[in-house]
Amino acid sequence: MTDVWIGLFSGIAFGFVIQRVGATNPQKMVLAHLMKERYIPQFMLLVVIFAAFGLFALEAAGVGTTRVLPTSLVATGLGAVLFGIGWGLAGYCPGTCWAAVGEGRMDAIFALLGGLAGTAVFAHLHEALIPTLYMPTNFGQLTLTDWFGHPVVALGFLILLLGGGVLLIGRLWGRPA
Amino acid sequence: MSKSNAPYWPILPSAIALAGIMVFIFASFGPPASSSGFVTTLKGFFLEVAPDYAEGKEHYRMMPGPGSWLMAFVLGMAAGGFIGGRSFGQTVTDMPKAWEKCYGSSRGKRYLATFIGGFLILFGARLAGGCTLGLFLSGSTQLAISGLYFGAVIFSVAMLTTRIVYKHRSHDHD
Repeated sequence: MTDVWIGLFSGIAFGFVIQRVGATNPQKMVLAHLMKERYIPQFMLLVVIFAAFGLFALEAAGVGTTRVLPTSLVATGLGAVLFGIGWGLAGYCPGTCWAAVGEGRMDAIFALLGGLAGTAVFAHLHEALIPTLYMPTNFGQLTLTDWFGHPVVALGFLILLLGGGVLLIGRLWGRPA
Repeated sequence: MSKSNAPYWPILPSAIALAGIMVFIFASFGPPASSSGFVTTLKGFFLEVAPDYAEGKEHYRMMPGPGSWLMAFVLGMAAGGFIGGRSFGQTVTDMPKAWEKCYGSSRGKRYLATFIGGFLILFGARLAGGCTLGLFLSGSTQLAISGLYFGAVIFSVAMLTTRIVYKHRSHDHD
């Protein structure tokens, strides 16, 4: 039962912050994807940078639970392509659409209903799709640490990569057409 | 382009706040996720109306049902969005301005588009194993290659799709 209360508290805090930064507003998402406004993509990269530092500290202190999702070249990639098309079309992602429904956006309610339909269809086909699309190119729970050999080097690489992304977005987004 | 994120919060403190929430979730539960909440919702539905079907399907067996952290988290997100929206003092619109400029004010068209978009993001997320939060944000925070790979592809494809969807009069959107 404690889990449920912690989940509820975490969700409320999460939903509140993403509403306040504008991530639940599909108009801002359109401007971000058209490279007219830098805020949301920079925000997302900054979140990862700060959270990665925090998680690194947690792990150093020996607390926290992690679960790295495997990389399947085909399934992760194909899933991402479908996801990207849907994200571009709707301006919502699975998390923001819950918060946007709470905010009272009617189009988000239809995104949520579409999401339930998409989930139901995938769940129905799971037994057929996972063995054919996911498993053959599944490289397992790969992390940057596997590539760089040391967690500090891996964290440094992540910070440089995403920090570079933040700077690049600042340069390229929002320039007069 | 606007010079600041106003009326919304500036991104740097917001990012620190959200990262703090994520670290709290890692400390108290595990990696946060949201597309899985859709599976949990449906599992609850099917356990009521067709329990044999829910028990027989791997995708429902592998996820917790209602009464879990996950269900509370996504409902909390909706509650957080509600509190945020009510206390914000900005009008909430049912469709983005940019959409209205391209496709007119027909609600049916917009709702159909977000339904299809919603279908694709969840079908894609379930195939990949997670979404913007569960795979990109949580994954990259854990230095996972899957998260960075997923993130790079979703940003590129969404940018391309948005360009196609909003191609008419794309100079007027701001």
